[in-house]
Amino acid sequence: MKNIAKNLLLASIGIASSSQANDLNINGFLSVGASMLDNDKVEISGYDTNGGFKQDTILGLQLSKQVNDSTTVTGQLVSRGSEDYNTESAWAYINFAANDDLDLRMGRLRVPFYYYSDFLEVGFAYDWIRPPAEVYSVPFSSVDGVDATYRFSIGNWDNSAQAYYGRYTPEGAGVDLRNFTGLALSGQTGDFSLRASYHRLEIISDGTGSFGAVNQGAAALIGTTGSALNTGLLAAGYSNQDIAGAVDDFTLTGQEIGFYGIAAGYDNGDYSAIAEYTQSFGDAPFIPIVNTYLVKAAKRFSDITAHLTFTSSETELDSGINETIQKSLMLEDKQSSIILGARYDYDSSSALKFEIQQLTEDMRSGAGEIDETGMLYSVAIDLVF
Amino acid sequence: MKTFKHSCSVLLIGLASSLASAEISVIVSTNNPNESIDQNTVSKIFLGKAKSFPDGSQAVPIDQDDGAAARVAFNSTVLGKSASQLKSYWSRLIFTGKGTPPKQSGNDAAVKELVANNPNIIGYVDSSVVDSSVKVVHKF
Repeated sequence: MKNIAKNLLLASIGIASSSQANDLNINGFLSVGASMLDNDKVEISGYDTNGGFKQDTILGLQLSKQVNDSTTVTGQLVSRGSEDYNTESAWAYINFAANDDLDLRMGRLRVPFYYYSDFLEVGFAYDWIRPPAEVYSVPFSSVDGVDATYRFSIGNWDNSAQAYYGRYTPEGAGVDLRNFTGLALSGQTGDFSLRASYHRLEIISDGTGSFGAVNQGAAALIGTTGSALNTGLLAAGYSNQDIAGAVDDFTLTGQEIGFYGIAAGYDNGDYSAIAEYTQSFGDAPFIPIVNTYLVKAAKRFSDITAHLTFTSSETELDSGINETIQKSLMLEDKQSSIILGARYDYDSSSALKFEIQQLTEDMRSGAGEIDETGMLYSVAIDLVF
Repeated sequence: MKTFKHSCSVLLIGLASSLASAEISVIVSTNNPNESIDQNTVSKIFLGKAKSFPDGSQAVPIDQDDGAAARVAFNSTVLGKSASQLKSYWSRLIFTGKGTPPKQSGNDAAVKELVANNPNIIGYVDSSVVDSSVKVVHKF
């Protein structure tokens, strides 16, 4: 009898631990925001002077299941107000834990471009209502492929290295991003963290979609005899051969784009700060070098966090004929913002946020200089569940 | 003014001693071969940064329920984070599939029972409930 009881006990422990291993985890996040811009000459995509409730509204639902000791499947569906609530899989992957320190994943992954990339849309995980658009400007965030993440310690530093390879085809753009690969290194010790990442990809345009149209349009503008740009270039002393070369340079398909970012963070519980710098560059002068940075400081007063951010994005043009063309294609762009905000944690899984952003745009083009400043007022509620 | 300062310090000493009296023990099963685990390792296990005990066996941390006195003390002393900082920390890991927080597993008594029955589980309880069914590997 005693043995039976013991066996039952062992069996029940066995069941308990296997049911723990078979748990289906469901987690979600929801951000609901409202915002209003005070100057309609300032362009921030999706925001206007009539006010809106959609732009910062995001619902995410994540399912994950441990299939066996080493394998987990994870799917995250995200529905964004800024995209009319079309639902997309931001993550959908199988994770194989080769050992305690090495994870291998295959499927749809988040590209680790930025410090906040992994949880880009989980507003609850950071102080802002949205990461500053000056820095967080790559218009897509996923890649379909494989990655490996290795965790290791050096002295007091806990580090990880993540390498990925894949491909991504944005919907409707007529472009295929191939040989999409990169490496992200991060380290953390005590209150400090550091991060560096490098990425590259190859653009293949099939000539259709928004991307194909821009690509062909530019070539036509530059190369077509009699077009204003072509005439201007000839008048500036460039030969037909120079112009033919520029048409080739400005052809996007087959070109490589590179990106790197570095970031440093500090958080001692009361004070926190982060600085992030990125540079993107392309072989094609169509994609000029863009330098961006942000610097943010925050102070926590119990449940309230006040924060201040300076952020900027500025293009760096080529020289010679390419510079002339870049200017006339209005590729020169400078934008900066000051963001002042407060986050109130009204319980351990929801936060109320307020933000005032002063945005300054300075775009130079053939038509002259556009120099505008506007204020964007935003409020949002972020929840995780 | 002097009296005021004096009563403040008396108050603080009183507070400190009342906090100190609520001692917390980090516990594992008596079948777990680890005898002592330092605070840094305990912290790593509860933050999902380490998945094994020092001897290499799998470590499964469990939390007490939200708001439990032992949990508040454990979070601030061992992990050095407030409840909302921890929630924010875990949301960064949950939504990237990089980790899940320790399961909420009830109060002192419930945690002690779970720990006693499984050599992989590590938990923390008020030192007053510790008995021979579990082994203390760290105290604060």
